[in-house]
Amino acid sequence: MNHLSSETFKENARAALADVQLRGALKNATSLFGERRRQAAAGLPNWEDLRSQARAIKDEVLLHLDRYLEEFVANAESRGAKVHWARDAAEANSIICGLATERAARIVVKSKSMTTEETHLNNALEAAGMQVVETDLGEYIIQLANEPPSHIIAPAIHKTRRQIGELFTAELGMAPTDDVDQMTSTARMKLRDRFAAADVGISGVNFAIAETGTIVIVENEGNIRLTTSLPRLHIAVMGIEKVIPRFSDLDVFLKLLPRSGTGQRLTTYQSFITGTKRAPQDEGPDELHIVLLDNGRSRMLAHPVTRQSLACIRCGACLNACPVYQQVGGHAYGSVYPGPIGAVITPQLMGIAKAAQLPYASSLCGACREVCPVKIDIPQLLLHLRGEISPRKGSAAERLAFKIWARVMTSPSLYKLSSVAGRILQRVMPISRAWTSGRDLRPIESKSFHELWSNE
Amino acid sequence: MNNSARESILGSIRTHLAASPPVDNYPVNPANPVILSKTDPVNQFKESVEAVSGHCIITTNATNVLDQILADLNAKRIAYSDNPPNAHDIFHFDVGVSTAQAAIAETGTLVLDSSCERHRLVSLVPPVHIAIVNASAIVETLDDALALLQQKEISSAITFITGPSRTADIELTLAIGVHGPQELYVIVDGSK
Repeated sequence: MNHLSSETFKENARAALADVQLRGALKNATSLFGERRRQAAAGLPNWEDLRSQARAIKDEVLLHLDRYLEEFVANAESRGAKVHWARDAAEANSIICGLATERAARIVVKSKSMTTEETHLNNALEAAGMQVVETDLGEYIIQLANEPPSHIIAPAIHKTRRQIGELFTAELGMAPTDDVDQMTSTARMKLRDRFAAADVGISGVNFAIAETGTIVIVENEGNIRLTTSLPRLHIAVMGIEKVIPRFSDLDVFLKLLPRSGTGQRLTTYQSFITGTKRAPQDEGPDELHIVLLDNGRSRMLAHPVTRQSLACIRCGACLNACPVYQQVGGHAYGSVYPGPIGAVITPQLMGIAKAAQLPYASSLCGACREVCPVKIDIPQLLLHLRGEISPRKGSAAERLAFKIWARVMTSPSLYKLSSVAGRILQRVMPISRAWTSGRDLRPIESKSFHELWSNE
Repeated sequence: MNNSARESILGSIRTHLAASPPVDNYPVNPANPVILSKTDPVNQFKESVEAVSGHCIITTNATNVLDQILADLNAKRIAYSDNPPNAHDIFHFDVGVSTAQAAIAETGTLVLDSSCERHRLVSLVPPVHIAIVNASAIVETLDDALALLQQKEISSAITFITGPSRTADIELTLAIGVHGPQELYVIVDGSK
């Protein structure tokens, strides 16, 4: 069930619902992450203040994004980094392939980056003749299986340990086992060999600090530290929305991100990288290149509702909270960004025509808004996008129906008549099959409230 | 080419922002500082390290404790951050020993600064990492540590370490020591 399309969400979702194993895995993952997030948030008495503060910082950045980007670039470059601007995915991939090819690179190690998933960088690097190795354990698993990620922070959440064991036996020659420690150590050995040989390390970026030109990357495994330390060339790829103004702003974001993502107080490692190494004998790459990707992001600035999409810090909390994601999982969305945030970002990035079903993949229950660490009003965004999808005026039949509805509702006698008519009509004709195919429509009571009241 | 991409993206940002109606800004409530219930950062640090599966020893004789741990581990090949191996030989050591320039009590975090700790991979690649930190270098909160880092020109690489390397990518089952160490020992030098 790999590489599905956003255009066929309904079919994808139906297939996912029939997959018993997938639904079991999703139930475990989303409830565990959800509970850990709840406990972690409860452990900070000023959680709500932190959320408001984080959102205010993001709003401040987004309203002056040009200025903060220029400040970030100037500071990063003054400390030895080289910054590249990419208008779209093709331009980003061509810059990165160019950098690698110019240095005769053959082996590329990557740490987890949603932005390079978005640009399909691996395909471009492979087409340029390079071996690309994903080094985050979850990403490594799905790379071996040739599948896209199904969760923002747990990419292989849809696979069982047995499936992963079989995959490692087939692809890596591991002795058959479903012991997690054994599998982890097999991956460690295989990947160490690739780290030692790699010419280029490619990472994502969690936060880019305008004030100092620093990039901050968070993780648990240690593969980001290896990716950004061992190869001679480090390329960091970030969306233009990742910039924050001040170093001290990290306090708020480093409290919110790990607690919202995995329920940790801090992830195991945070790397703060500011330019290149200062003395030649120091550890670290000789060159740092930072690629700033637009790819449709600047368009989202044009409206306060869509602009919120750019506040996202990719924690994955809205996925775990969403009753739709909990049932259908990540692949059904046909996008590297699944779940509620994926349903609003994907149509904006890919073009609304290519993902027109996604804004409807929600019951608008608001659970995503409740857990979002930067208070993105995702239901408001979903409605906004639905408004762009549906033609402003409905069909002639729909307009007529609402005209009649308005007439009936504003006249007591017609209203009384309609409740009697409704009781009869409901029995003799099916009402709105689209509505009733997935749920029951309760029968209208045999006596209306008015009738009961006058009988009293 | 690159200049035109830069101008084009900045231009697009400015055009779209100019087209945007004014917004209701979220009120900025200064986040209330969390009052720590404990007033002893050294013991709180030890508790926090242990909560993330690390070992923590508070001592006034760090050298003795280090020697004892190395002897208990029967470590033969030891990499020191101030006398490091070549980057690619780093894969062949039993233990890495580093210092830390600061530590955070509320999270059990070590702060390694590249201006002092030039070879931070000794804290990552060998299966065991032993870190020595002065008791006086332990600050209470993340905020305190960030403020400390800003007191001078920021170093090219700063690494925060909280516990041994971990993953839960297979069925959310915790596995310790995926790309980094399986064991983390922190020696708090109470004499400094």
